[in-house]
Amino acid sequence: MHKLSRSNRDKVQQFVAITGASEKNALQTLKASDWQLEAAFDVFYSQPQPRSNADVRRLEELYNRYKDQYSDMILADGISVLCTDLQVEPQDIVTLVLSWHMNAATACEFSREEFVGGLQALGVDSIKKLQEKLSFMRSELKDEQKFHEIYNFAFGWAKEKGQKSLALDTAIGMWQLLFAEREWPLVNHWCDFLQDRHNKAISKDTWEQLLEFARTVDPSLSNYDAEGAWPYLIDEFVEYLYDKSVVEK
Amino acid sequence: MSFSQNREPITIEDGFKLIDAAVTKLTRIIEGKPEPPFLPEEYIGNYTIVYNMCIQKPPHDSSGPLYEKYGAILQAYDKLTILPSIMEKHDEYMLREVSRWWEINKIMVRWLSHFFYYLDRYYIARNGIPSLTVVGMTCFRDHVYEKVHFNVKQVVIALIHKEREGQQIDRALLKNVLDLFVQNGMGNMERYEKDFEDFFLTETNSYYSRKASSWIQEDSCPEYMIKAEESLKKEKERVSHYLHSDTEPKLVANVQTNLLVSVAKQLLEKENSGCSALLRDDKTDDLSRMYRLYHAIPQGLEPVAVAFRLHVTAEGNSLIKQAEDAATSGIVEEQVLVRKIIDLHDKYMAYVTDCFQNHTLFHKSLKEAFEIFCNKKVAGSSSAEMLATFCDNVFKKAANDKSNDDSTIESTIDNVVKLLDYISDKDLFAEFYRKKLARRLLFGKFSDDHERSILTKLKGQFGGQFTSQMEGMGTDMQLGKDQQTGFEEYLKNANTGKPKGVDFTVTVLTTGFWPSYKTSDLNLPLEMVNCIESFKAYYEIKTKHRRLMWIYSLGNCNLTARFDAKPIELIVSTYQAAVLCAFNHTERLTYQELIDQLNLSHEDLVRVLHSLSCAKYKFLKKDPASKTISKTDSFEFNSKFTDKMRRIKVPLPPVDDRKKVVEDVDKDRRYAIDASLVRIMKSRKVLPHQQLVSECVEQLSRMFKPDIKMIKKRIEDLITRDYLERDTENPNTFKYVA
Repeated sequence: MHKLSRSNRDKVQQFVAITGASEKNALQTLKASDWQLEAAFDVFYSQPQPRSNADVRRLEELYNRYKDQYSDMILADGISVLCTDLQVEPQDIVTLVLSWHMNAATACEFSREEFVGGLQALGVDSIKKLQEKLSFMRSELKDEQKFHEIYNFAFGWAKEKGQKSLALDTAIGMWQLLFAEREWPLVNHWCDFLQDRHNKAISKDTWEQLLEFARTVDPSLSNYDAEGAWPYLIDEFVEYLYDKSVVEK
Repeated sequence: MSFSQNREPITIEDGFKLIDAAVTKLTRIIEGKPEPPFLPEEYIGNYTIVYNMCIQKPPHDSSGPLYEKYGAILQAYDKLTILPSIMEKHDEYMLREVSRWWEINKIMVRWLSHFFYYLDRYYIARNGIPSLTVVGMTCFRDHVYEKVHFNVKQVVIALIHKEREGQQIDRALLKNVLDLFVQNGMGNMERYEKDFEDFFLTETNSYYSRKASSWIQEDSCPEYMIKAEESLKKEKERVSHYLHSDTEPKLVANVQTNLLVSVAKQLLEKENSGCSALLRDDKTDDLSRMYRLYHAIPQGLEPVAVAFRLHVTAEGNSLIKQAEDAATSGIVEEQVLVRKIIDLHDKYMAYVTDCFQNHTLFHKSLKEAFEIFCNKKVAGSSSAEMLATFCDNVFKKAANDKSNDDSTIESTIDNVVKLLDYISDKDLFAEFYRKKLARRLLFGKFSDDHERSILTKLKGQFGGQFTSQMEGMGTDMQLGKDQQTGFEEYLKNANTGKPKGVDFTVTVLTTGFWPSYKTSDLNLPLEMVNCIESFKAYYEIKTKHRRLMWIYSLGNCNLTARFDAKPIELIVSTYQAAVLCAFNHTERLTYQELIDQLNLSHEDLVRVLHSLSCAKYKFLKKDPASKTISKTDSFEFNSKFTDKMRRIKVPLPPVDDRKKVVEDVDKDRRYAIDASLVRIMKSRKVLPHQQLVSECVEQLSRMFKPDIKMIKKRIEDLITRDYLERDTENPNTFKYVA
C-alpha cells in the first residue's frame, strides 16, 4: 500500500468499501484494470466469487430467517420482513434490482440458491451490509447498459409462471416503476393507449422493443421510421398519438 | 524551252512577271471572259518556270519566294476580286456570287497548284509546311469566308424560312452554299456547325415553338398531329436536299421537342379530340399516328401511355359506378357488369395490339388500369365474388339450355381467366368459386365439358395448386356414381332391401376438396334414419378407418304430401322434409316443440318454416298468420292446400355466407403468410425487416395481396413461437431460429 499514490490508495479503499472484497483482491483487480474504478468493478462482479465458508454459513442463517415455514422458498411474507429490515417499501424498485442480482425466476419468491447466490454476488453477508449496498444498487439503474438488462429481466420476472406473455396490468405497473427511474415523456400516453385500444397481454418482443423505442425515437416522433421493424403494437401507438393530436404528423 | 544547264538563271523579278502573266490569263479563262485556253506548251511552260526557279543553284533557288508568291497571288485575288464582288450584292444574289466565286476559287487553286506543283514535291514536303491546296483553301477562308459567312448565313436562313412558309426556293444554290461552309471547316464540321447550324437550329426552334403555340390553340389533336407529321417529313426532305446529313438528328429532335414534347400534355388532354376522345371514338388512324410520332422520341411514349391508362381507368371506374348506382337493395347485376368489363377489355386490347403495335408500355398501362378498377367493391361485393357469381350463372344457364353455342361459352371462359389475372384477391375468388361449384355439382346443374374446360384454363394460368381442390371435387362426383351403383347392388343382395321402401342416394365427398360445411345434429325422421344406417353399414364393409360426416343441409328430398284434394309431390331440402315429416304424427306443433324435436338452430328453423308457411305455397298453416316467424308461433298441417301442379319445387333460399367465406380466406392467408415467412427465413437465415416483408409480398402476390400489418403481426407471432428472433445488434433484422 505504501508504494501507491494517494489517489490510487483512495481507489483501493473505495473498492473495498463497495464490493466488500479483501484489500489484496482490490489491489489485484484495480491493477489489472489499469486503476480505472468502473472497469475494476465490472471485472470484479463478473468473476465467480470465492466462497468462504464463513460467508455461506451466515447467508444460510439469513435465509432461514426469511424462508417460509412449509416450503424451501422465501415467499411473500418473508419478503415483507426482509423489506422491513432493509427499511424499504416492497414496491421500491430497488427490490427489482435485488431480484436481478439474484437472477430470480419470478416475482415474490426467492429460492435458497437465488437468495444466497445473489447476496454473494453483491458481496454482502448481513442485512446491514445489504442495506449499505442499496444506494449502489439504485445507482445501477442510472447506468444505460445495466438498466437495459434489468428492464429485460423484469419481463420474465414479472410474468406469471408458465405464461408466455405479461398481463397488461402488471406490465403497466412495471413500466410506471421503471420509467420513473429513466424519464420517458410518452410513458403515460403509452399506458393510456394500451388500456384504451389493446387490452391484452404484452409479448416479450413488444416489451423489449419498447425500450428501444423509448431510447431511440424522440418524443416528437421526428425520427420514427414507419417502415421499420417496430412491433405492430408500437406502430398502433404512433397512430394513436397522431389521432389524439399528441404529436403533429 | 530547253533544259540545258548553261542557260541563265531566272531572276525572281523575271519569274514573277511570267507567272503573273499566266495568272492573268488563267483568271480571264475561269471568269468566263473571252480568252483562248492554255495550249499544252503554255501549260507545261508555266510548270517549268517554277521548276527551273526551284532547282537553280543558290542564290537563285527561289522555292521560298515562290511559295510566298503563290500565297500572295491567291490572297490578292481573294481580296481584290472575289470579296468586293460578293460584298456588292445582297440576298439571293449575294449567295449566287458566293457560290460562283467559290467554284472559281476552287478551279483557280487547282490550276495554280498544277503550275506550282514542284513546290509540293520537294520544298513543302521537306519543310513540313502546308501544301498548296491547303494554302489556297486557307486563303479563301481567311480572306473571303470569314468576312462573308455571317451575311451568307442570314440569307440562307431567310430563304429556309421562306421555304417553310410555302414558297419555292433554289435548293441547289443552298446546297452549294452550305457545302462551302462544310469545306471551309477544312477537315472538321466546326465552321458548318458554329457559323451556320447553331443559328439554323435556334431559328428552327423559335419557328416551331411559335407554330406549336398557335396550332395547339386552333387545331384539334388529330389535325395538329397531321401537321406535326407533315413538318417532320418536310424537314427531313430539307436535309436530303441541301442540309448536311449531320444536321438531321439534331433537326428532328428540335422539331419533335417543340411540336410534340413540350405540348404533349395539352395535346393529349385536349377536350373532345385528345387521346381520351380518340380512344372513345375508335379513331384508329389518329391513334396510330400518335403512336408513330411519339415512338420516335426517346421516352416520348410515356405521356401517351399515361393518358391511355387514365382513360381506361376512368372508363372502368364509370362502369363500376354505374353498377353501384344500379344495385338496388344491395344486389349487384354481375352478369351485366362483368360482360361490360369484358367488352371494355376487348376494345382496349385491340388498341394495344393494332394502334400501339403491341408495345409493352401499353400492355402495362392496360394492366395497371384494369388492376385499379377491377379490385373495387360494388355494393359490398368484392370483384372476386362477382366474377365467381358470374361464372356460376353462365354455367348454370348453359347446363339448362343445351342450345347454347359452345364457342361463346369457351370465349367467355377465356375472358374470365383474363379478368382474374387483374384481380389481386385470387384466393378469394377460388373460395367463392368452390362454394358455388359445390352447389352446381351437388344439385346436378352442370355441364362436364364446360367445368373441365375452365379448370384446365385456370390451371394453365395460375398453377395446379389453384385448381387441385376443384379437380378433386369433380373426381368425387365421378366416384360417387360408381359408389351409388355399388350401394344399390348391396341393397339388392343383402336381404335388407330398400330401407323402408325409400330410394336413397348418397354422394361421398372428400373433406379436403370441398368447402367446409357446418354439420348439424338434426334429428331425422325415422325413415331417413334407416337410410342413413343402411348406407353406414355398406360403407363400413367397403372402407374401414374413414369417418362419415353427414351434411343434411345439402341434401334434397322428394315427398308425397297427401292433401285432401289430391296428393302432390314436393321437392324440398332435407331440412324442410324433416320439418314436414314431423307433422306425420301430430297435426299441430309449436315452434318450441319443433326446436326440441328436430334440434335445428333457430336461424335454420326460421328459414325453413318461412319457406313452408309464409312463402308462395303454404303447406303449413301458421298461427298467427303474420309474415314473419316468431318463437311463439304454432303450426298446423294445411290439409286444404292444393295446386294445379302435381309436383312442386320448394326452394330454400341459401344462407348468405359471404362473411364466412371472407373469414375462411383470411384464416388461410394467415397460414400462407406464416409458411412463406418461415420458408424465406429458413433459406436466408438472416434478413432485414424491409426485405423480408417485400419478399413475402412477392411470394404471395400470385394469390393475393397481403396486408403489411398482417405480415408484421405474423412475424411477431413467429417470434413468440421461437421460429424467428431479432438480431441483438440490430433489431431491424431477423434471424432464423433453427
